[in-house]
Amino acid sequence: MAAAQPNRLPQGGRIDRSRPLAFSFDGRACEGFAGDTLASALMAGGVSLVGRSFKLRRPRGIVGSGAEEPNAIMQIGEGAAAQPNLQATQVELREGLKARSTRGWPGVRFDIGAVNNLFGRLLGAGFYYKTFMWPRSWWKHYEHAIRKSAGFGQAPDGPDPDRYEHMNAHCDVLVAGGGPAGLMAALTAAKSGARVILADEQNEFGGSLLASDASIDGVPAAEWIASVVAELRGLEDCVLLPSSTVFGYHDHNFLTIAERCPVRPGGQAGAGVRERLWRVRARQVVLAQGSLERPLAFCNNDRPGVMLASAVSTYVERYAVLPGRRAVVFTNNDSAYRTAISLSGAGAEVAAIVDSRPGGAGELGVRAQALGIPVLAGHVVSEVAGRSRVTGAGIARWSGDSWSNVRSTIRMDCDLVAVSGGWSPVVHLHSQAGGRLAWDESRLCFLPAEARQAHVSAGAGNGKWSLGECLAEGLHAGAAAVSKLGLKPAGVMTPHTAAGAGENPIEPLWRVPAARDADRCSRQFIDFQNDTTVADIRLAAREGYRNVEHVKRYTALGFGTDQGKLGNINGMAVLADILGKPIPEVGTTTFRPAYTPVSFGVCAGESVGDLYDPVRTTAIHEWHEAAGAPMETVGQWRRPWYFPRDGEDLHAAVARECLAVRKSLGVMDASTLGKIDACGPDVVEFLERIYTHNVGRMKVGRCAYGVIPGEDGMLMDDGVMARTGEQRFYLTTTTGGAAAVLDWMEKWLQTEWPELEVYLTSLTDHYSTIAAAGPNSRSLLERLGCDIPLDKESFPFMTTKPAVLAGIPVTLFRVSFSGELAFEINIDSNNALAMWRKIMEAGAEFDVTPYGTEAMHVLRAEKGFIIAGQDTDGSVTPVDLGMNWLLSREKDFLGKRSLQRPDCLREDRKQWVGLLSQDGRTVLLEGTQLIGDTGKPAAMCGHVTSSYFSACLGHPIALALVAGGRQRKGETIHAALSGRDPLPVRIVSPVFYDPRGMRQHV
Amino acid sequence: MSDNGLPLSGVAISVRSGRGFLNLRLNPHHGQAVETAERVLGQPIPQAANTFTNGGHEVYWLGPDEWLIANVAERAAALGSELAEALGGFHAAVNDVSGGNVELLVRGAEARAVLAKGCALDLHPREFAPGQCAQTGLGRAAVLLAAVDPSSYAIVVRRSFSDYVHRWLENAARPHRARFSAP
Amino acid sequence: MNTAPRRWRTSTVLLIECPWCGPRAETEFSYGGEAGIERPADPYALSDAEWADYLFFRRNPRGAHRELWNHAQGCRRWFGVERDTVSYRIEKSYRLSGAGSARPAAAHIEASEEKRR
Repeated sequence: MAAAQPNRLPQGGRIDRSRPLAFSFDGRACEGFAGDTLASALMAGGVSLVGRSFKLRRPRGIVGSGAEEPNAIMQIGEGAAAQPNLQATQVELREGLKARSTRGWPGVRFDIGAVNNLFGRLLGAGFYYKTFMWPRSWWKHYEHAIRKSAGFGQAPDGPDPDRYEHMNAHCDVLVAGGGPAGLMAALTAAKSGARVILADEQNEFGGSLLASDASIDGVPAAEWIASVVAELRGLEDCVLLPSSTVFGYHDHNFLTIAERCPVRPGGQAGAGVRERLWRVRARQVVLAQGSLERPLAFCNNDRPGVMLASAVSTYVERYAVLPGRRAVVFTNNDSAYRTAISLSGAGAEVAAIVDSRPGGAGELGVRAQALGIPVLAGHVVSEVAGRSRVTGAGIARWSGDSWSNVRSTIRMDCDLVAVSGGWSPVVHLHSQAGGRLAWDESRLCFLPAEARQAHVSAGAGNGKWSLGECLAEGLHAGAAAVSKLGLKPAGVMTPHTAAGAGENPIEPLWRVPAARDADRCSRQFIDFQNDTTVADIRLAAREGYRNVEHVKRYTALGFGTDQGKLGNINGMAVLADILGKPIPEVGTTTFRPAYTPVSFGVCAGESVGDLYDPVRTTAIHEWHEAAGAPMETVGQWRRPWYFPRDGEDLHAAVARECLAVRKSLGVMDASTLGKIDACGPDVVEFLERIYTHNVGRMKVGRCAYGVIPGEDGMLMDDGVMARTGEQRFYLTTTTGGAAAVLDWMEKWLQTEWPELEVYLTSLTDHYSTIAAAGPNSRSLLERLGCDIPLDKESFPFMTTKPAVLAGIPVTLFRVSFSGELAFEINIDSNNALAMWRKIMEAGAEFDVTPYGTEAMHVLRAEKGFIIAGQDTDGSVTPVDLGMNWLLSREKDFLGKRSLQRPDCLREDRKQWVGLLSQDGRTVLLEGTQLIGDTGKPAAMCGHVTSSYFSACLGHPIALALVAGGRQRKGETIHAALSGRDPLPVRIVSPVFYDPRGMRQHV
Repeated sequence: MSDNGLPLSGVAISVRSGRGFLNLRLNPHHGQAVETAERVLGQPIPQAANTFTNGGHEVYWLGPDEWLIANVAERAAALGSELAEALGGFHAAVNDVSGGNVELLVRGAEARAVLAKGCALDLHPREFAPGQCAQTGLGRAAVLLAAVDPSSYAIVVRRSFSDYVHRWLENAARPHRARFSAP
Repeated sequence: MNTAPRRWRTSTVLLIECPWCGPRAETEFSYGGEAGIERPADPYALSDAEWADYLFFRRNPRGAHRELWNHAQGCRRWFGVERDTVSYRIEKSYRLSGAGSARPAAAHIEASEEKRR
């Protein structure tokens, strides 16, 4: 044990020593305890080098203990279940966990890229912009090399086997952060009867109290936490979410929380839910996310062994890990004195507390000195020695001038430098919510100012550093939140704590003077993850950058996965110092979601695989599947594409299906068509305004083809409509246009013409539609048994009748989308499959052939019927399509005025025509560009919208939009083919087959 | 699965078969028309948004002039004709939509938690009490969701989406074991 | 072959008050553009430029914006919303009186909506 965990303290901490956990780091077997994070276990095992820096490849160690950690970025797990780019400080240790450092190839101990460090001075701010952008054509080579060596985590190599889910939640009060302030806010709100959600990113509630020796209400903090959590658990409408980061504060008090679900003991990947995304609509929000400690900028401050003082305390107190044996504590405020006291109590030697303030600390200073810890007030650590681990600190007297040259006069051996540059409240969510920030000159930090949404900040996140203040403010925030909701705040007492130690105020120390000239500041790191140094910020300022947002982009300050949690304020302060402006004038950058990195898996939730998007199926779908039909996706629908027989490919099957329709009988499932019932006293008037043809002239029982233009005159949708009563019509739309057409009609009815009494009801799902097409379609219906006469005179083309077919009530339509004699059978979807089976049975003697969408497309193209959305694209008018015959002269309709716009009258508008390949065999690709002549450069004059091989005609056919096309029939133009000479094509009528339309009238 | 009605880890999902549906449109301010429809139906038509009445049928409010009437399938056609005939003199629309809808039941102590994974409505019993219904989203589909009693919900979904919704519900219910903190 | 533009659902950020159904998540609604664009009574009396102005030009203001929304997954009603395009705050939502998509409904209906909010 001692060998495996040399830095583990013999007792203390919140780890469970009875549950040792084995894990590996870069292939090395390691050991920790339940309750450890990966970071604390690594540190217990004596691992101090966890990665290489991004640009300069400098060795890096663990700096922090939470969301601020910039260096310990790990790849967790292997294969498909791997999770890249996780912070070791945020990963709960579990048995069998496999971790790899993501930065530094082939390993963190030896890194080829470290040679970059030698050229560090050349790799200043904007280096990539300046160097690799020239010559431009070389960029792709540079980019490849840079990306390869940059190496954050690797994307997993297969579909994630784990489960992720979403959870929508609503609450009266959401409390973000479960430290002393958050716990008090949640307790007060919940006891007042509010629905409360309390979320904290740690696996235990308590926040800073977990690493504190404070007592509350006379009991140790841990006991107090346990009692509060137990009380909250007992309240019905209180949801407790540990290991859950509130990472987004969006509009209308909508917040997003990523919950890392505990892996069950012995649980395998994929067994349970790995992460859950909570989508919370909160009426009030209490932000109590605490504060983050800032590092200090001195020479080589990035060496492994230089850590945040608070993180050192956390490792000692919470995880019983000693991060070093001999420490120097460097601070500009009182809080780090606690770290020195902690270290000393844990058996480490504290070589000195180096305090930049001439007066040192208040009461804590006295306590430290009583423990025999030397305090060097008015001094700074100006540099540290050591490469892969700190070996000593150089200490100098502090003159108060950041830009002077100071040689260190004292050298102390040490393996740990604990630093504190003051504290920054976590104002991210406040800022995401649109709240303003205000600089506080005495606390030296940005504090949340006016809120724009319903939230309030409390505790350290609001600049309250003492425990007593945090508890009181939390209580107050909880009470204020419920009061705003009209609830009476429950009488909760502020817990009693020992009076706060008298503290001396923090003093600004944004940059420590260096031993030599100012260029040594190239080793003074501000943003560890992006290797942004004081020198980079100076360079940016020298090159004219004044705005912090620009400086950020030029230097990459704050861009990493830690989003500048450590470096932003220091960077801005240095910039302000250089520019000679006060910090608030330099401003702060905007915080945007997410506060911490969020996995793709949790964003996707359950919407993966076959739940990625709804799949709509018809009532006959199971028959199509059983028949082995490949499916085509049309919108959300799955439609049979073709029905292969005996190993046929697409072309063979489609040719057979088309010929069957032309020669005998084909049936297809057309149920996906949109269907709308329109009725009311004003239905004729309404439809006259929507459609272009004379709706009023239709007699009851008649069908008509209609098109719907937008107000801009462009074709929006088309379909057959039938007049089923004096005041009733049955409208059909395209498969994809169903919802849009209904919305369009309702919009006009509700907003512009409410005086029109018309009701629209969607019947798309209620009715299934079976199209029976071909010369034998009438015989089929007769064979099925139909209660009405079906001959040409009794039931002519373009009429509709209710009937009973094979004993089932249906509505028959004598309409045709293939140009053949055809009937569309509309039937209650509950009966559709049965009817389809009967058709297959009764049609056997005609060799009834089910056909799919592809044959349907070919058949309609042979007849020159458009598919809205394929042959049109929102820029095509009915006139362009040759549909002048459909445009009523006698009435107005939506879009009519626009057809008179000069642009719609241009003679060279693209018009819809047919095309024949001159070689008689080339099937053009849809989308092929058309050119008039073959000179170079060739002017484009149109494009192919539909193209097929027509088995019935024995040659390819195509439909195209060609400039002035209708006047150019007979003319030969060219299709531009990839890798081939342009192919001559002849412009013809778009109707290739039975141009007089005789076949459908039989 | 689970047509046997056995709870699946605290949730049971079943298809309610043999249901018939009618879609009714009429002007709610036209007292005579409303009275006529109520007389044929034998129960009140809910005027309050997001509620349904329960008598011989369930009459769900869909919009200010639109209702869905659910009953047994065999009665739908006859009732539809009867309604249409009675309302013949008014501006009204009656459509049999029995083939277009599927009704699912989600029951059990964890029904609410399962639905909350894909429904943005606040399903807390204080906010969405028995007798209330809402057209809303579940997963990525539109549904009519109704609170039947404190631990059962009816979902009416368009037929073409019903497979998706059924699979969505099964998937959402799968990880539900003994413990789960409901929102 | 798909003729309809794919409608991607955004995250359910905004909470929009349907004047009939109450507050619902943004994903239940579809957007209908600026409200208050009245269709000219006689389109043929307009010059091409005036007609183009009606058809294509919208104010796109910074700040208060009256716009149409449709409760597509709910009651299918079109209604008006006054939304601040900077803060995304929704100041009010209102039923339409009809003629002219701009005009809010009668006062008593509005009042009942105010109460709800």
